[in-house]
Amino acid sequence: MAIGRSAVMAPVPSKLYSDDVSLLMVLLDTNPFFWSTASIPFSKFLSHVLAFLNSILLINQFNQVVVIATGCNSCNFIFDSSSVPANPNLENGRMPALCSNLLQKLEEFVTGDEKLSKEVLAAGIGSSLLSGSLSMALCYIQRVFRTGPLHPQPRILCLQGSPDGPEQYVAVMNAIFSAQRSMVPIDSCVLGAQHSAFLQQASYITGGVYLKPQQLDGLFQYLSTVFATDLHSRRFLQLPKPAGVDFRASCFCHKNTIDMGYICSVCLSIFCKHHKKCSTCGRKRQSSLEG
Amino acid sequence: MDFKPSRMAVVAKHIEAFIREFFDQNPLSQIGLVTIKDGLAQCLTDLGGSPDSHVKALMGKLECSGDSSLQNALDLVHGYLNQIPSYGHREVLILYSALSTCDPGDIMETIQECKKSKIRCSVIGLSAEIFICRHLCQETGGSYSVALDESHFKELLLEHAPPPPAIAEFAIANLIKMGFPQRAAEGVISICSCHKEAKVGGGYTCPRCKARVCELPTECRICGLTLVSSPHLARSYHHLFPIPPFDEVSLSLLNNPHQRSSRACFGCQESLLIPGNKPNLCVACPKCKQHFCLDCDIYIHESLHNCPGCESFRHSKIVSVTEE
Repeated sequence: MAIGRSAVMAPVPSKLYSDDVSLLMVLLDTNPFFWSTASIPFSKFLSHVLAFLNSILLINQFNQVVVIATGCNSCNFIFDSSSVPANPNLENGRMPALCSNLLQKLEEFVTGDEKLSKEVLAAGIGSSLLSGSLSMALCYIQRVFRTGPLHPQPRILCLQGSPDGPEQYVAVMNAIFSAQRSMVPIDSCVLGAQHSAFLQQASYITGGVYLKPQQLDGLFQYLSTVFATDLHSRRFLQLPKPAGVDFRASCFCHKNTIDMGYICSVCLSIFCKHHKKCSTCGRKRQSSLEG
Repeated sequence: MDFKPSRMAVVAKHIEAFIREFFDQNPLSQIGLVTIKDGLAQCLTDLGGSPDSHVKALMGKLECSGDSSLQNALDLVHGYLNQIPSYGHREVLILYSALSTCDPGDIMETIQECKKSKIRCSVIGLSAEIFICRHLCQETGGSYSVALDESHFKELLLEHAPPPPAIAEFAIANLIKMGFPQRAAEGVISICSCHKEAKVGGGYTCPRCKARVCELPTECRICGLTLVSSPHLARSYHHLFPIPPFDEVSLSLLNNPHQRSSRACFGCQESLLIPGNKPNLCVACPKCKQHFCLDCDIYIHESLHNCPGCESFRHSKIVSVTEE
């Protein structure tokens, strides 16, 4: 097996650029509230993920991997396989550089994220900022599109364990629709105990794969069989299909999931019971109820 | 001059693109197509919420003949749009290629009727500006433009896809009852109410009467409940919660050695310095103060509708303190 060359992107002759080159954006959930109660420790999880990222970079020499950490109070870029490594002595192939760089930056990020915590969360596990990392991933993907006609095919993989934060609903949906327009699939691997309605909708709308592994001890196996394939080769594989997608909405007043509700015709807010006044836009209803 | 191969073919092609863009931006809306020829106006397709039936009609044979009658078209549209409940926004977009109109009665009266029914009429002309079209648009509050060539026509047409701002006095608030069906699992067999035949898997179940429908948004044929899915509503939220435009950053601030962290665009991580270590043009979000390159600015405001900086910091107020 050939050792990889220097990581700087040299101009590639077009016949070497096949249609299965991918750019994989990995959104890593680092929420400490979730990991303290998860079924595997964060260090074991990281070893599965690092082995998976190495395998992606080995499948095709032009594959690119970018890791963004989704924290509890902030998000940031952790690793980019196409950037020039800081210490050339460590660089005799990309594998050693990947591990040390990534782990170092991840540690800095987690320490910084913890410092930003303002108040102690009341109860339950707090949510992580999925909308932030999705937005950053999509901006980076737009930059890759701008480099010209020869670019890797981008996709996003969310490794998410924290529950959905209802306050991020609009932002996550905006990101999903933008991904759909740019034809970027969002794959989801849910590590927590419950299904994530946001990620189910994201994968359904963008054409990605949604999976909730039954045994987190074998995470590397799930990742390499389901999520490692590039977009071109997915047509030839039977990937897991979701049992059903929960498209029900949450009412704005109680955040309960409802299957029939009342919609304000001006601002489209959803309510479970009939009200005289719309609490979002403040307009009083004028005529009798329709329907 | 003109549009090749024929005006009709060019218009049909661009209307198809417009329909897809329109339903992308307004998933809960409905479109109907009307043709004007031989002095008569006829409905090509009924008001419907699914792009496929309209696109199919456009792909069929479309012929041009005879005079065009603006009044007959407005009368027909007025009859249809009057049936729409008051909370719906009523609009007509007329693609007019003729240089005159042949009317049976007083068109000014028809225009006043449209104004009373709050129908907003806009016209895109293909040949030259006509007074009656200008008058119609002015009276009803629409926009009138004349296309210079094919690409200009496409631009003018797509400008009508995003919803126009609603006038506050006319925005009557009503609470409309709607249902949010669940998507059935693959492999479930049931008879669908739209095609009246047995179908396998992949449909939606009306929460009130449990009838199966094939696609959303639609109205349940059995009980009349409007059925939508939450992504349809969410698609319109960015019109209601827009992000503020970003401010330009003065170049001297970028050179400040204390601001080490903002040398790269926050969204795409591209360096904001052009070779020679001189700062390039960039913008900053007024709320979270993060710097973005111009390309990310365009992408964020036109497609993403989220500021990555505001979304990535839970407590945005303390960002400026800890940045240095």
